[in-house]
Amino acid sequence: MASSPPYTYIQCPCSNEEPAEGSDASSPESDSFHDAERTFDPRAPRSNYSLYPLEYLLYCEECQQIRCPRCVDEEIVTYYCPNCLFEVASSNLRSDGNRCTRNCYQCPICSGPVQVGEVQAEPETNLLSADNATAAPHGPYALFCQYCSWVSSEIGLEFERASGIPSQLAKMKNGGIPRITAKELKERRKEDPDMPPLEDELVDAELQYSALRSFYQSQINGPSNGLPGGLSLGDGHNFSSPAALTRMMSMWQPGGRGAQGKTAGPPDVFPEATDTDKGLKLAQLDESAKVQKLLNGGWNETVSKDQLLGQLEHAHFQDELRPLQCVLRTKRSRRCAVCRHIISKPENKVASTRFKIKLVAKSYIPSISIRPLEPRAPPVPVGMRPQQPQEPPLKPLQPYQYILTFKNPLFEKLKVTLATPNNTPGRFSSKVALLCPQFDIDPVKDMWEDALDGDDRSRTEETGQAEAGKIYKRGRNWVSIILEVIPPLLSVDSLRPHTASGEPTDRSPLREDEKILEIPMFVRMEWEPEAQHDVGDRVGKDRNEGQKRELAYWCVLGVGQISHE
Amino acid sequence: MSSSAGFAAAHRSVASIRSGPSQGPSTPSRSISSTFGSPSTIRADDDIIVIELGSRLLRVGFAGDPVPKATLQCGPDEQRRVGDFRAWLDPTKTPGQAWSSEYELWRYDLSKVELGLVHDKLDRLMREAFSKFLLIDSKPRRMALVADPSLPLPLLSTVLDTAFGRFQAPMVSLLSPATMSAVAAGVRSALVIDIGWSETVVTSVYEYREVKTTRSVRAGKYFNNELYRKVLHPLIAEDQGKEANTVSEKSHGQENPTKEKMDRDRAVDVENEKDHRLSFDESEDIMRRLAWCRPTNRTSQRTSAQLETVEEQDENEAEAGSTTTPGADRTAHVPLQSSTPPKTIDVPFERIADVCGDVFFEPSMNLAHFDDHELPIHLLAYRHLAELPVDVRAICMSRVIFIGGCSNILGLKQRVIDETTSIIETKGWEPASGKAVDQLSNNSKLKWKPTKTPHLEQDRDEEDGLFSEQANDFDQFERGFMRPRKKDPPVQGHIRALHSVGPWTGASLACQLKIPAMATIDRELWLQQGVNGASRPNDVDVKAQQRQSMGAGGLIRGSGGQHTNWTLGKWGAI
Repeated sequence: MASSPPYTYIQCPCSNEEPAEGSDASSPESDSFHDAERTFDPRAPRSNYSLYPLEYLLYCEECQQIRCPRCVDEEIVTYYCPNCLFEVASSNLRSDGNRCTRNCYQCPICSGPVQVGEVQAEPETNLLSADNATAAPHGPYALFCQYCSWVSSEIGLEFERASGIPSQLAKMKNGGIPRITAKELKERRKEDPDMPPLEDELVDAELQYSALRSFYQSQINGPSNGLPGGLSLGDGHNFSSPAALTRMMSMWQPGGRGAQGKTAGPPDVFPEATDTDKGLKLAQLDESAKVQKLLNGGWNETVSKDQLLGQLEHAHFQDELRPLQCVLRTKRSRRCAVCRHIISKPENKVASTRFKIKLVAKSYIPSISIRPLEPRAPPVPVGMRPQQPQEPPLKPLQPYQYILTFKNPLFEKLKVTLATPNNTPGRFSSKVALLCPQFDIDPVKDMWEDALDGDDRSRTEETGQAEAGKIYKRGRNWVSIILEVIPPLLSVDSLRPHTASGEPTDRSPLREDEKILEIPMFVRMEWEPEAQHDVGDRVGKDRNEGQKRELAYWCVLGVGQISHE
Repeated sequence: MSSSAGFAAAHRSVASIRSGPSQGPSTPSRSISSTFGSPSTIRADDDIIVIELGSRLLRVGFAGDPVPKATLQCGPDEQRRVGDFRAWLDPTKTPGQAWSSEYELWRYDLSKVELGLVHDKLDRLMREAFSKFLLIDSKPRRMALVADPSLPLPLLSTVLDTAFGRFQAPMVSLLSPATMSAVAAGVRSALVIDIGWSETVVTSVYEYREVKTTRSVRAGKYFNNELYRKVLHPLIAEDQGKEANTVSEKSHGQENPTKEKMDRDRAVDVENEKDHRLSFDESEDIMRRLAWCRPTNRTSQRTSAQLETVEEQDENEAEAGSTTTPGADRTAHVPLQSSTPPKTIDVPFERIADVCGDVFFEPSMNLAHFDDHELPIHLLAYRHLAELPVDVRAICMSRVIFIGGCSNILGLKQRVIDETTSIIETKGWEPASGKAVDQLSNNSKLKWKPTKTPHLEQDRDEEDGLFSEQANDFDQFERGFMRPRKKDPPVQGHIRALHSVGPWTGASLACQLKIPAMATIDRELWLQQGVNGASRPNDVDVKAQQRQSMGAGGLIRGSGGQHTNWTLGKWGAI
C-alpha cells in the first residue's frame, strides 16, 4: 500500500482490544477467541486504520506494549505558527481563532505562503523614483503569492499599512468593500438610533450570528437589559409541557417583576427575530447574476474542492475566496492511555526538534527488512544511491525467494517465533512459506565483545542458502531467513465460482491494492530482561530470574507488485 | 412531546429567579460569557465541541463560533494507511470502480455499511479535526452532535461509542439539523428543505418541534450519477461514437414515461459500473462547480414568492431570464486528469441545466409516475405543506429555509420556491386532484368549490374546526403565546424564504446559550447500558436531568445520576 514495496507495516495491538462492532458487545469471550484464531487480513478495509510503519509507533515501558497514535493521550506543550515559527500564548488562542495574527497568510488559490508587498502603481513612476526610492510615498500594500503569483489586489484587497493585515482584512470584503462588524453596527446605532436596518446583502454569516446571539441573549436575560421593544420576560425558549408553563407562571409573580414590567399578565415566549438587527435575513433567491457569471466565466471562474475546503465560508467563484490565515500547530507530549506514563515529550522551544522523552518502538521491537534473494533489478548507480532499486513485477505462479532480516535493538537475546498463513487471505491468495520460523537473535553488543566471544555457534547454524529449518545468515544482532512466495494469477475469470464456505465469489474487477503481494505475519518475541552478561548487577538478576517477557503482534510484509497481464 | 431538540429552560428560569426579585437598577443579571471574555477563562470553562455529522462530511468546531473550525471529507485518500503518501506522490487519480460509496461516511442502508469501518473513519476524522484545527488535547470535553434524527440506531450507537470511547466525552447532546437551522435563522418554526447528498429532506419545525419529515432521493448523489451518465460519459466517449450520442440524448425529453422510468433505474448502475470513465472526484467537482438551474417559465409568480426583497429587481432581466438565459449555449472547458488519455472536454451549460431540471423537478412527467421516494423537490415541499395542520402550515410556509450542499446550486432555491408557489396557486390545498375533481368543480349543479385560497387569514375560520383535533396540541400552546402579540401578528400565509446560517451554527448558538438538549447522554450511563438503556422520551424527567447536569458545567454529575432515565429522544424512536 505504500508507494512501492518492499515495506513493513505493524498492526498496533490496541485495535484488537476494542469491540469490533458497536452493537454486538454481547459475547466478549467468544469474540476475543475468534480474534486470536482469525488470520489478520491486511486488505480488509478496517486494516488501513490499524497499520502503522514502525517509525510511527511508540512503546510504553511500563505496559510493555506498542502504542500507536490512536492509543495515546495527548497534551499540548506549545502552540506556534508554522509559517513564522512564533510561539502563541494559549490565552490568545480563542480570540485569534487558532490562527496566526502575524501577517501569515496562505494563498487561497494554491495554498502557498503569501508575502506582503507594495503594489507598484505604474512602471514609469517606478523608474523615475528609482534614484530616490525613500522619498516616494509608500503606496498601498497587497498580498503576493510566491508560487502562483496571485495578488490580493486581483480581488480588490489592498491595505494601507504593511503591518496588522488581519485587522485590516477583517474590515474588508473582497472587492475592497468595507465589511461591517457587529461592533461597528452597535456604535453606529448608538449614534443614530433611527438608522434603518442593514440591507440583507451586507449581512454575512458572522454578523447574522452575532445579531442572533445578542437577540437570544437579550431574551434570555429578561427585561433588565431588554431591547427598546419592551419585550417581557422572554425566558422559555420552549416550555415543554403545559405543566411547566404554569410552574413558570407561578414563579414570576407580577409583583416580583417590579417597576420594569411593562406588561402585566403571564410571561410570554419570546417572539421571533423580526428584522435584520435581530438576526433575520431573507434568502437571496435571485441568483441570475451569479448564473450569468458562471456562464461567462466557465470552469476557471469557479472554486475547486480543495480551495473550498480551506475556506471558512462557502464560496462559489474564485473572487469570493479569502486569503487563508495560517492555522497554528502544536507540539504535543504523549502519554500511554493505560498507565498514564509519558512516552514522548518534545522540548518546549518551537525551533527545537529534540525530544526530552521519546520511547520509540524501533528501539524495542526488531525491525524487519525485505530484499529479494536474487535481485532482478539493476543496481542503482552510485550517484542516485538513496533510491531503492525497483524490482520488476512478479510473474504469477512462479516461486520467488526473499531474505527477511530481523535486527534486534535490545541488549537481551531475543527469541522470535513467526507465523504466516500458508495462503494469504483475500480473493487472490498467494502461497507463502517461511523456511525458518523460529530463531534467536543475539543482543546488541560491543563490536569488541563480539570479536572476543568467538562465533562458533553462528557459523555452524547458518547455511548461506535457502534451506528449510535453517537460518540463512546471522550477524552481530541480526538474523536473516528465507521467505518463499508463489504469487497468484490475477484474473477474475480464474477464480473459483464459490468460496470454501459456499458463498459466491466476488467477481468485481481487480482493485488497485490487489496487485501488491502482501503477507500477514504474526511475530512473537520473547526475551529475559537483565541479560546474563550483566555481571555487576546480581540483585537485579535475581529479581528478574526466569521472568520472561513477551510481545506479539501482527505485521504486514509488502513484498512486491504482481504483474497482471 | 415527541420532539427531538425541544429545549426546556429549567436553568434559565433559575437564573431569572435569582435576579428577579432583587432586581435593583444596579444589579444587571449575569449574562453568559461571550467569546471575547476574560482570557483567564479560556479553555477552562469547558468548551463544548459541536459536531455536525453529514453523510459526506464532518463539521467540527467550538460552541460560540459563527463558523465551524474544520470541514472534513472522507475520500479514499483520507482512508489510506498512515505513512502512505501516494495521494501526494501521484495526485492524478485513476478512475475505476470506486464511486460514491467510497466517499461516504455512512449511508442509510446498513446492509452495505460496516459499522466498525464507520467507527474508524469517524475516529480518524475527529482526531484530525481536534489536533489540526481545534488544537485541543485529549482532555474529555462535552460534545453536541448535530445529526439527522432518522440516523439508524446501530449507526448512532457507533457514533456515540466513538465519542464516549476514544474521546471520553462526559456528555453528548443530540441536536437535530432542522431545528438548529431554524435557530440559526432566528425563527421558532420553519420549513427546512435540506438538499443534501443522499436525500432531500423536508422537515417542518413548529415551535422548535419537528412535526413532520418527508424525503426524496432527488439530491446530490442522484444528480451526480445522472450528470455522469447523461453528459460526462457520452462526452468522454465521443471519440468513438462521435455525435451519435449527443443526438440520441437530446431527444430524451420526449421519451415516453415508462422508458424514462427505466432510464432512471439505470442511474443506479452508475454506482456499480465496473469501469468509470473518470474519477468520482472529478465528476463531483464538475457537478459542484458548473451546476446551475434554469428559472421557471412562469415569471408572474415571482412577486408572490418574495414579497420583501425581490420587488426592486430588474424586471427586464427577469423577463429575459424566464425564456432563455443569455449565454446558456456556451460550453465550459473542463480539463480532465483522470480520463484516459487526459483531455479537455467541452461541457455545454445547457445540458447541465437540463439534467439539473430533470433531476430536481422532472417537468416532463406526470405526477402519477413518481414513487413515494422520488418526488421532485417542489412537489415534495407542496405535499409536505398540504399534509400539515393548517396553523402549522401557515407559519411554516412563510419560513422556508434551504440547507444542504446542493442548495448551493445556482438558481435552485429560486426555482423550488417558484414551482411550489405555482402549484399552490393552481391547486390550492386540495388534497384530491385529477379528472373527477375537475368534473366535480365544473359541475354547475353542485355548488361545490374547492378551497383555492392559499392565504391563511381566510382559511382559518372555515377550517379551524376541521383541524382542531390535529392542532389541539399546538392550540394550547399557541393561545399562551399569541395573546400578547396581537399588535404584531406573525408573518404567515405566504411563501417566504429565509436565510439560515446553517445547522452547525445553530447548534453552536444553542450550546453557547446553554440551552439543554432533549437527548443528552451521559458517558457513565451509556457505557453501562448502551443503546438499550434509553427510555422513551416521555418517560424521562427532563427537568430533573437538567437540574443535575447544570452543576459545574455538567462535568461533575450528581451521585444520583445512576437511576435517572435518559433518552435518545427522536433518535431513539423505533
